[in-house]
Amino acid sequence: MGQPRRITDSFPRRLRRRGPGRPPGKLKDKKDKKDKDKVQVKVEDCPRSASQPAPDPALLEMLRHFDLSWEYGPCTGITRLQRWERAQELGLSPPGPIRDALLEHRDNP
Amino acid sequence: MFSEQAAPTAQGLLAPPSGEPPTFPRVPVSGYSDCSQPFQLGERSFSRQYAHIYAVRLAGMRPGLERRARSRWGKDIALRKLSELQAGEKCCVVGTLFKDMQLQPSILQEISEEHNLVPQPPLPKYIQPSDELILEDELQRIKLEGAIDVQRLVTGTILAVYGSEQEDGRFLVEDHCFADLPPPLPWDGPSSDRFVLLASGLGLGSVSGEALLSTQLLVDVVTGQLGAEGEQSCAAHITRVILAGNLLSQNTQSRDTINKAKYLTKKTQAASVEAVKMLDEILLQLCTSVPVDVMPGEFDPTNYTLPQQPLHRCMLPLASAYATLRLVTNPYQANLDGVRFLGTSGQNISDIFKYSSMDDYLEILEWTLLAGHISPTAPDTLGCYPFYKSDPFILTECPHVYFCGNAPHFQSKLLQGKEGQRVLLVTVPDFSATQTACLINLRDLTCQPITFSGFGADSED
Repeated sequence: MGQPRRITDSFPRRLRRRGPGRPPGKLKDKKDKKDKDKVQVKVEDCPRSASQPAPDPALLEMLRHFDLSWEYGPCTGITRLQRWERAQELGLSPPGPIRDALLEHRDNP
Repeated sequence: MFSEQAAPTAQGLLAPPSGEPPTFPRVPVSGYSDCSQPFQLGERSFSRQYAHIYAVRLAGMRPGLERRARSRWGKDIALRKLSELQAGEKCCVVGTLFKDMQLQPSILQEISEEHNLVPQPPLPKYIQPSDELILEDELQRIKLEGAIDVQRLVTGTILAVYGSEQEDGRFLVEDHCFADLPPPLPWDGPSSDRFVLLASGLGLGSVSGEALLSTQLLVDVVTGQLGAEGEQSCAAHITRVILAGNLLSQNTQSRDTINKAKYLTKKTQAASVEAVKMLDEILLQLCTSVPVDVMPGEFDPTNYTLPQQPLHRCMLPLASAYATLRLVTNPYQANLDGVRFLGTSGQNISDIFKYSSMDDYLEILEWTLLAGHISPTAPDTLGCYPFYKSDPFILTECPHVYFCGNAPHFQSKLLQGKEGQRVLLVTVPDFSATQTACLINLRDLTCQPITFSGFGADSED
């Protein structure tokens, strides 16, 4: 099937710009990434990440795994770093590399 | 106790005043430290869901419950999660209770029936024989039946049940246990008689002014302007006054002005403005003489969700000039002279009263202490801030005095725990209805009521 002409070819879909104080690593961004895969639509990346190298897919996979693991409690509404700190305080021993990765890319989801 | 000390001293009220009136210096304040930091909210973000507080509650109380379960049912019992249950195997599960109640007011039911449904009127109790208990852990839930009192328990309690899963998918409970009393705090109380006055439900701003005389009598007793020298010297032993909530009466909460037209309500001011001015004057009299801790309550001008933040000092301009006034949170925790006080203004207890078959406020107070949590119904039926990091209502240390305000009657009980805990449970009555306050002696953890009736015998017993 050929590439049908869509309105999104002329008006590419942009990710909604959020405020500058947005904390990194929110679940909403993960969902957007999933939508990106499903729908064949040109998406413009956030201008922020254009200036940094693209994040490592293996790292993203690790972070996604961390989000979905049920032992550390619900993942919605709090940043990944907050969730990691909470798991640490409750004694659930979350994996250390996750924290290092989160601190390295503090402003990047 | 209080009046026995007063009686033997020489001068009664019928003697002529002595030439040189003696002064009674108040017992100096020593050893006060405020421990209610967990209840003070820093940032207030309401964008979180309440799942976090339940998850943290379960994760925080699970180790203690597992220890209790092992000590009660044997060291080698099987502790399982709900996902690992096998039919017929006797094991122990730790989880959060959910009580499925038909009569529980539900906002979804109200708006789903095409706006024809009249909202359910508030009932005193919402329990019904058809209520069911469901146990939830991190992933699954299961219905409970068996040796467990469905009517008595409330949603949000963390407990451990021992039993086995049946073929129909329900869990047959043979025994259950709560977190029990938390570990005791070392006792460092004073060696001489020191009293703390607990009062709640002053109810200022109500339509009837009957309680005003009693309130003024209370203030006069504490500041030593009432009674002969005997009573005055006793009043000098009162080191602190704690006002546990509901300083304003429920009448100040009427919102009729919202429904009326603007031109009718232009010149009216909210009833709470006048009531807060009265409160300020009363507190001014008290603060000149004794440290006062003011806790907000259900009808006071502060936030509705627990933990309620302290009243703002701009509302009490006259009294906040004194350093003896402390505006504190609800629930409130502090160390007074080495004795740990913990208490609330009664919203948690009255909420449990509505959803449980327990009728006695003292019994409910004791039950919350044994369950290890100040307010288990907190996000479900009682408003609560969406905590995500830790649940500040979990009891980690056993207080020496545990009180709740705005109870229907005065009751007190000294509870002895297995690990040497001694807790004085006090239900402070509503002052506007009963004109009774409580005096707690810090030396030996005893408590006595003190009533200020307007008519009849002026009795201090």
